[in-house]
Amino acid sequence: MAGGNEVNLNECKRIVPLNTWVLISNFKLAYTLLRRPDGSFNRDLAEFLDRKVPANSFPVDGVFSFDHVDTSTSLLTRIYLPAPLYPSRHGSVDLSEPLSTTDIVPVLVFFHGGSFTHSSANSAIYDTFCRRLVTICGVVVVSVDYRRSPEHRYPCAYDDGWNALKWVKSRVWLQSGKDSNVYVYLAGDSSGGNIAHNVAVRATSEGVKVLGNILLHPMFGGLERTQSEKRLDGKYFVTTQDRDWYWRAYLPEGEDRDHPACNPFGPRGQSLEGVNFPKSLVVVAGLDLVQDWQLAYVDGLKRTGHHVNLLYLKQATIGFYFLPNNDHFHCLMDELTKFVHSVDEDSQSKSSPVLLTP
Amino acid sequence: MDELLEVLGYKVRSSEMAEVAQKLEQLEMVLSNDDVGSTVLNDTVHYNPSDLSNWVETMLSELNNPESSDLDPTRICEDRSAFPKAEEGADEEASSKRIRLESVGSWGELTRPLVVVDSQETGVRLVHALVACAEAIQQQDLNLADALVKSVGTLAASQAGAMGKVATYFAQGLARRIYAADLSGGSSVGSSFEEALQMHFYESCPYLKFAHFTANQAILEAVTTARRVHVIDLGLNQGMQWPALMQALAVRPGGPPSFRLTGVGPPQTESSDSLQQLGWKLAQFAQAIGVEFEFKGLAAESLSDLEPEMFETRPESETLVVNSVFELHRLLNRSGSVEKLLTTVKTVKPRIVTTVEQEANHNGVVFLDRFNEALHYYSSLFDSLEDSYTLPSQDRVMSEVYLGRQIVNVVAAEGTDRVERHETLAQWKVRMGSVGFDPVPLGSSAFKQASMLLSVFAGGDGYRVEENDGCLMLGWQTRPLIATSAWKLAGA
Repeated sequence: MAGGNEVNLNECKRIVPLNTWVLISNFKLAYTLLRRPDGSFNRDLAEFLDRKVPANSFPVDGVFSFDHVDTSTSLLTRIYLPAPLYPSRHGSVDLSEPLSTTDIVPVLVFFHGGSFTHSSANSAIYDTFCRRLVTICGVVVVSVDYRRSPEHRYPCAYDDGWNALKWVKSRVWLQSGKDSNVYVYLAGDSSGGNIAHNVAVRATSEGVKVLGNILLHPMFGGLERTQSEKRLDGKYFVTTQDRDWYWRAYLPEGEDRDHPACNPFGPRGQSLEGVNFPKSLVVVAGLDLVQDWQLAYVDGLKRTGHHVNLLYLKQATIGFYFLPNNDHFHCLMDELTKFVHSVDEDSQSKSSPVLLTP
Repeated sequence: MDELLEVLGYKVRSSEMAEVAQKLEQLEMVLSNDDVGSTVLNDTVHYNPSDLSNWVETMLSELNNPESSDLDPTRICEDRSAFPKAEEGADEEASSKRIRLESVGSWGELTRPLVVVDSQETGVRLVHALVACAEAIQQQDLNLADALVKSVGTLAASQAGAMGKVATYFAQGLARRIYAADLSGGSSVGSSFEEALQMHFYESCPYLKFAHFTANQAILEAVTTARRVHVIDLGLNQGMQWPALMQALAVRPGGPPSFRLTGVGPPQTESSDSLQQLGWKLAQFAQAIGVEFEFKGLAAESLSDLEPEMFETRPESETLVVNSVFELHRLLNRSGSVEKLLTTVKTVKPRIVTTVEQEANHNGVVFLDRFNEALHYYSSLFDSLEDSYTLPSQDRVMSEVYLGRQIVNVVAAEGTDRVERHETLAQWKVRMGSVGFDPVPLGSSAFKQASMLLSVFAGGDGYRVEENDGCLMLGWQTRPLIATSAWKLAGA
């Protein structure tokens, strides 16, 4: 219905700043072109269209970055650090010293989003976001590439995430504190959030310590059509149709959306009862059609006694954090900062503060 | 420009934002009502996604006025063969409308894209020693520098792989500088030796092939309707670029144009006229594939010696192309040289100018900065040559010699002897713009075919093609190493 569509587009345009609307609509348009109905993906055009930026070992706005490439997988990892105190070291990178021998410096292992299919660690949107994380939240960020679908399906992304975690944990130059540990938080948006959860599960079962998970409108789903999916389908940049496409591209062929990778606490999910799972900060955008699945995830964690902070941003759409031109962005950064710098890391408090913004 | 979008790679004027939004909405409407639209847009060639307004506008006009592109679903072909074919469709009127004057962004900040590869984590001491030596030279403490360069030698010898080799060449350059020995940086060797080295470099890694391939793509797009084509190659060398172009022209629908090549090379010795010999070989090739061919060799000591009359252009009948692969930067050793050449090029009114240059700033005034830039650049380059799965071939060894000579020139030479004065794409854009050239964007089909070309190479995973504001860059991992761009006369 043409009339209905117009109303939707206008509503959406009113809710977000115009340049945000242009940015996300541009992605929506490009992504629609790239997804083929037969399930294949126009990877060449995707790489052509993706705006990438190089690393820069000279500080820009107080942050410098450099790349590490695993020669056996060709996967990129980009490391972001606050500019060192001594100007003479600018432009070069010292890989022999820890970050600090006195203070604890949180290291955020960040998995970029893109519904398992799009983007890279060197995509401009993610490079910019990671730089802001360093400046605003006072962390070191390690942004990790993983093999993407449809060329590489489950469990490739999780395996790559796990390998990245092990790599990070073993870097001398990411250590801090008096006891020379690498203090890791896992983080990710969209599919990256899903990966963070799964890597945390693996870390827990293998005894690798992760201090916390940060899931930014994580990508979850299930067979059932939830209220939020019906209510918000097509209204704020995202459709259930495109969500379905990405799950079909990521999950093993022939699988449905109740596969535990998609629906971790669903009928085929694995309970985390009695497991020493890290505390979580889950950020839900109130205009994201996937929110019922994200809220179900939060419930799933709470029910098995895990510490979860829910940040529910009522008027936020997906991708609100790509531009710092809205309250949601600043709210996110505040919560994130508190989350990674809180003193009581071991608290297993069952109450989870629910935060709402107007 | 909207600053927030600019850091994300999109150039949209704030005043245009509402208009761009409207076009996006329109496009969305059209696509949602039309199943075939998406397919058509998959097949069209896309240009410069950073220029959002133009990109969306182009797609809208593609959908509203489908040109020669058929909506035949069977045309949803997957990858074409790796063999470069002439591009069809996209008539010249439409392409000139797509091209807007690009304002050069604010590239004033220092950029050093640093890529650390596994082996380099252990080579940290070696890098420190090299940099410390360069610092000592910058401070003019030659005794300290001397001591350090010796320690570099020892460390380099025990460092396996690319890191050790690169360090050795840099140490050589540093040593020459310290001892003020032969500050020509060893450039006084015969040109035929240089050409031979470049051949090995051509064979062992994809950089030159990429350069030729992408430049040829731009040329093919610019001459689609020309009946007679004249290419001036500012650095003919072994002429490796031209057989592929001639072949692409030969299979052009409607038959090939005639092809005239003017190849510029260094002054010829009495005993050989390699330019003419090369001309003969190319003529034979042209005959074999049925392309009418003419050749002229132009010997010049320096490209700035060239005058427009020497090219003997025939503007009434010929479409002119000027091509330069790794030649322009050499002219930066004398003030005014490159401007003179570019003015000469402008005078002959080429339809298109294709340039390929190293993507690095090795021409800074401060030695230490140059040194650091070059160290990172050549480390990446040597890394890409390193292939632990095959035995070192003669091609690879000679490629390392080829690059090693560049390193020594950057580090040890000064004044007019220093010819490896590489500058970045951003710097070249400013220079070309100020002389009176507008950029011609390279599009998604050139990008895709270049990517396919690279996948053929061992270690193909590590080579990456990137589109950057209308230009194509080839890099190793995330470090861009060479950039291809195309130009036309401003306002043409």
